[in-house]
Amino acid sequence: MSALSSSTPALVCGGLSFHEAPVEIREQAAFSDEALAGALARLREILGLGEAVLISTCNRVEYFGIAADPEQPARRWAEFLTSFREAGAPATAQADFAAHSFHRTGRACVEHLFRLTAGLDSMVVGETEILGQIKEAYRIASEAGMTGKRTNRLFQSSFAAAKAVRSQTRITRGTVSVGSVAVELAERLFGQLRGRTVMVLGAGATSERTARSLQSRGVSFILVANRTHEKAEKLAGELGGEAVLWDRFEERVEEVDIVISSTSAPHYVLTRERLEQVRRRRSGRPLFLIDLAVPRDIEPGVNFLEDVYLYDIDDLESIARANQKERSAEMVRCERILDPHVDRLMAWVAQLGNLPGPGADSDGLPSAA
Amino acid sequence: MDERHWLALGTALTLISSGWGTFALGAGRTQSTRWNNALLLVAWLCQSVFLYQRGQRIGHCPLTNLFETVAFLTWALLLTYLLIGTSYRVSLLGFFTAPVVSLLNFFALVAPIDRPNPIPPLGWQLELHASVTLLAYGALGLAAVAAMLYLIQERQLKAHHLGLWFYRLPAMGDLVKVQRRVLAWGFALLTVGLCAGFFVARNGSVDWVKLVWSAGVWVSYLILLLAPSLFGLSSRRAAWFTLGGYIFILMTFWGINSLSHAHRFAV
Repeated sequence: MSALSSSTPALVCGGLSFHEAPVEIREQAAFSDEALAGALARLREILGLGEAVLISTCNRVEYFGIAADPEQPARRWAEFLTSFREAGAPATAQADFAAHSFHRTGRACVEHLFRLTAGLDSMVVGETEILGQIKEAYRIASEAGMTGKRTNRLFQSSFAAAKAVRSQTRITRGTVSVGSVAVELAERLFGQLRGRTVMVLGAGATSERTARSLQSRGVSFILVANRTHEKAEKLAGELGGEAVLWDRFEERVEEVDIVISSTSAPHYVLTRERLEQVRRRRSGRPLFLIDLAVPRDIEPGVNFLEDVYLYDIDDLESIARANQKERSAEMVRCERILDPHVDRLMAWVAQLGNLPGPGADSDGLPSAA
Repeated sequence: MDERHWLALGTALTLISSGWGTFALGAGRTQSTRWNNALLLVAWLCQSVFLYQRGQRIGHCPLTNLFETVAFLTWALLLTYLLIGTSYRVSLLGFFTAPVVSLLNFFALVAPIDRPNPIPPLGWQLELHASVTLLAYGALGLAAVAAMLYLIQERQLKAHHLGLWFYRLPAMGDLVKVQRRVLAWGFALLTVGLCAGFFVARNGSVDWVKLVWSAGVWVSYLILLLAPSLFGLSSRRAAWFTLGGYIFILMTFWGINSLSHAHRFAV
């Protein structure tokens, strides 16, 4: 038995995340899904890992593994990243990677992964996309034969812990972006969005994103009006909707359920007086107005009209902030839920390390660092 | 077990359901309505046993005094919820139906209104008239509960003050749908019940007090049903009228029946 394999292998992790590394550094280190499988072999070799999983998202590039020498990954992580850099890259790259990286071992590593999987370490606390990204990274590593009993147990336990956190707390409750808040409010107002019609005023990026979100929730038809009709036609074509001439849009408000407005007009494009006339012809159907423009497109007084609900950019942002605050307040409860999961995994790891015979050491660790 | 005990048991179960509902809403566990619905089903069965035993004992449909009438009304309210409320993604309505039923039943059990009223056989027309009309009031009651929830939601959305309740109560669109459908069912039952009343054999003069009151209630609900499409009545106003109309019925039912010689309760 080699000297390395006779020592207890340690769980290690580290990498670059948005906490320490600005986007200019992260974008140089990022891997595509296709490149991930190929990078794993080199990661294992350079960092001296027995088992390895590499996670790469827009907010982080991180490794998880089992190392006989827990110091080696910290020493050589920057070298690993630099080895993927194109020729001619700045010589400072390796130093930058090293300066913006973090490394953890043992329990701290387990805690980090569990927090990460539960969405507690995300830029948007409680977001659920990270779980899917970690599952995908784990699947790629597993199919490449890079995982073993320790990483398998580590990742499976983290998925179970994330599930417990989400089902027992309100960490994922409430949406935290302007577009998703608008979609959620529309769903609370109408029940379901299937069969609803949306009108987009102004072909801006935010209104387009919001319209697409509404479409993904079942909105059946989208009308687009813009001062430059060609832009309206282009966006309507992309959304599969209908372009409306700018001077005719008011007539069509009668038939829609939701209006998203983000024009650059210096004055109101929808006034209380005009909407009052439209409202009378709507047979009591509610109208949800989302004003994303600054200066505002819709006269604030329309919110006093019956069955008309107006939310401007400040309203939506303040709801998003409140939701974010509420999620942050749930963090303590989440940590408490994670603790026993971490304890159980650490107990299992300790038990495995104490097992006599080859069962305890079959880690696939390289024989030399 | 004495027949009143069955009603008391049903009331206790709806009270437990109310408590559970308050806890579930507070804790954000509004998805767990299956147990609550099971509890309300058992409560309804207990009330059914009460009504059956009372009917067997008095030899009539149990609507001969105010006590029996209230018990029948809450039975109808629960039945409407179990049949309709659970089907439209708004099973949360049960959390709010339970306190109304508990309150009315509690009033019926403690108030001295369970006076025997020995009366001759009523005839099937009269029993049909009374029972279907009360079923209608049960349905209209559920519509009023949905309307109340809608108004709570609407106020928050309009004022931009979105509390926890906004996310835990059913969506406004679902509540409007339930309110309108249950209102339509209630109105249809009310029409059948009132029409059956015309076939009841009368010995004396026409009961004008009750007739005018019933006609007023019927016409009001007809207008309420048609107003959104005919006059563009807003959902908010429709909800206020649905809630207000039902409170009016609850407040005047006993009084009007006291003034009506054919509907007077034994007290």
